[in-house]
Amino acid sequence: MPRPLWTGSLSFGLVNVPVQLVSATRDRDVRFHQVRSGTGERIEMRRVVADSDDEVAWDEMARGWETEDGEIVVLTEDDFAGAAPERTRTVDIDLFVDLDEIDPIFFNHPYWLLPAGEGDGPSRAYRLLRDVMAKADQVAIGRIVMRAKEHLVAVREQHGLLSLTTMRFADEIRDPHDTGAIPEGEASEPTEEEVADAVALIEEMTADWEPERYQDSHRARLLGLIEEKRRSGEVRIPEPEPEPEPQRASKDLLAALEESLAKARGEKKVPGTRSPAKRGAVGSTGAKPRSRAKRS
Amino acid sequence: MAAARSIWNGTLTFGSVAIPIKLFTATEARGLSFREVRESDGARIQHKRIGAESGEEVAFKEIEKAYDTGRGQVILTKEEIAAADGPRAKVVEIEHFVHGEEIDPVFYDKPYHLGARDGGDHGYRVLLAALEQSGRVGIGRFVLRQREQLVALRPLQGALGLQTMRFADELVDPDDLELPSLRKKPGDREVRMAGKLVAMLADEWKPEEHRDSYREAILEMIERKRTGKAPKAAPKAKQADDDLLAALEASLDAGGRSGSGEEPARRAAKTASADAKASAARKRATAAKAKSKPAAAKPSRKAKS
Repeated sequence: MPRPLWTGSLSFGLVNVPVQLVSATRDRDVRFHQVRSGTGERIEMRRVVADSDDEVAWDEMARGWETEDGEIVVLTEDDFAGAAPERTRTVDIDLFVDLDEIDPIFFNHPYWLLPAGEGDGPSRAYRLLRDVMAKADQVAIGRIVMRAKEHLVAVREQHGLLSLTTMRFADEIRDPHDTGAIPEGEASEPTEEEVADAVALIEEMTADWEPERYQDSHRARLLGLIEEKRRSGEVRIPEPEPEPEPQRASKDLLAALEESLAKARGEKKVPGTRSPAKRGAVGSTGAKPRSRAKRS
Repeated sequence: MAAARSIWNGTLTFGSVAIPIKLFTATEARGLSFREVRESDGARIQHKRIGAESGEEVAFKEIEKAYDTGRGQVILTKEEIAAADGPRAKVVEIEHFVHGEEIDPVFYDKPYHLGARDGGDHGYRVLLAALEQSGRVGIGRFVLRQREQLVALRPLQGALGLQTMRFADELVDPDDLELPSLRKKPGDREVRMAGKLVAMLADEWKPEEHRDSYREAILEMIERKRTGKAPKAAPKAKQADDDLLAALEASLDAGGRSGSGEEPARRAAKTASADAKASAARKRATAAKAKSKPAAAKPSRKAKS
């Protein structure tokens, strides 16, 4: 089991639930280490005092705040812990909201919240919160301080446990129009026919969300070429395919949409693909496909 | 405002429609940034690459990447590693569309904004309009920074938004966690009262009302430390409640007031005024000593979602 990254309490009204936080994700990346070219000598990263060879051990390190005139204020872990101690150890629940009101852009890192502490009290309090949240079908919004940074969090019931997801603050999200690259104006205005064709194509290409069907094929290719290099000492580098040509003229775009639509309709449905009839039925009864309402 | 710099250029396809696009980071970190120093004297730290056997410093251009296969080390050049990107590395291919509400938020990772490149304006807007109309989310894959990204494409603030997704095998299965026993059941009255408390605290999601107020506490702590004042005394850690029922009753009486004594309904207002205080404190600190970080000094921008 992963090591707890944080322990503290979840505070709900005047009820405190002792909890520990473990990551809900694991790293599956192919990891390389650094070596010196020619010799293959392993490289180590060492922390030294700038412009010297004085090595600094991990437990001699601290964080420094640089003031405008270049003075360094040295800050220890105790300083950070003491800055707002009531917030460092407690996740205060401020309010409860509907999960589907929150746009996914806010969600950052997911964790599992597990009960901590000895005895029946803590586990009963944990169960109470879990049960009541499952019943209300709502998420609790609060805050957590981790690694000297405050995060907004969403706590909810999942698979019989409480989960906590850190969230971005609204002022950490940029406006897409600041990129200067969002097309606008009359020249690129879509026609009704184009949009209708695109919607039809989207519907033909609609399937159920089945996360297990996606595998990281890059990882497989990378491990494959590592093996190729190990056996033969070399790697064949494939020629990149040219990027597909965009349909610049409206008639070309329509032709591409119609061609794709005909192809999608002609293809045998893969298992899991919704038929238009089934989809219509869901819509006409007004039933939600899952317990959560549709996001806009 | 000058156009932002894209982090990746390529082509988005769905069916045989091809749209030249560029990718922009949709978030900016606004935390305070610190330097690594030595605790005893505040000396700045530098990271050096040292040969493990020779003890010699090795220049960055002499570094290569190696993978330990278990049957010896294999060294790969940058070009060889890039070969794993495959021949279609520059294409985001939308494989199919799903109903967005089927996707649990746990899959969503890093968000990006999409812009159009030359020749892509019209296709971009057709796809955006069709996604808005259908309410569907496009699912596709591409390679970014030598990593395959599963992505969700959807309308976001009047533009196309692309968010990377975690693969299912990157998520920790709750069955793999060791859980303490949860056999003690809460009583019916406790469940009812807790339900009331949830209802009392139910509200709308207004993201712009939640701001980082901890930054202020850190800046104040730095100022105290710099001027040599004593740190604040740490309060006692909170204890678990032995008497759940009493704690619930007291919470309901207090109108859902939290343990720290703040009324949740007022918390947003209080946070906003704390934020104003933070910016004043920051200005003071900037004028006096502290170096203002560009991210912290920028005016806040709200997401229109």
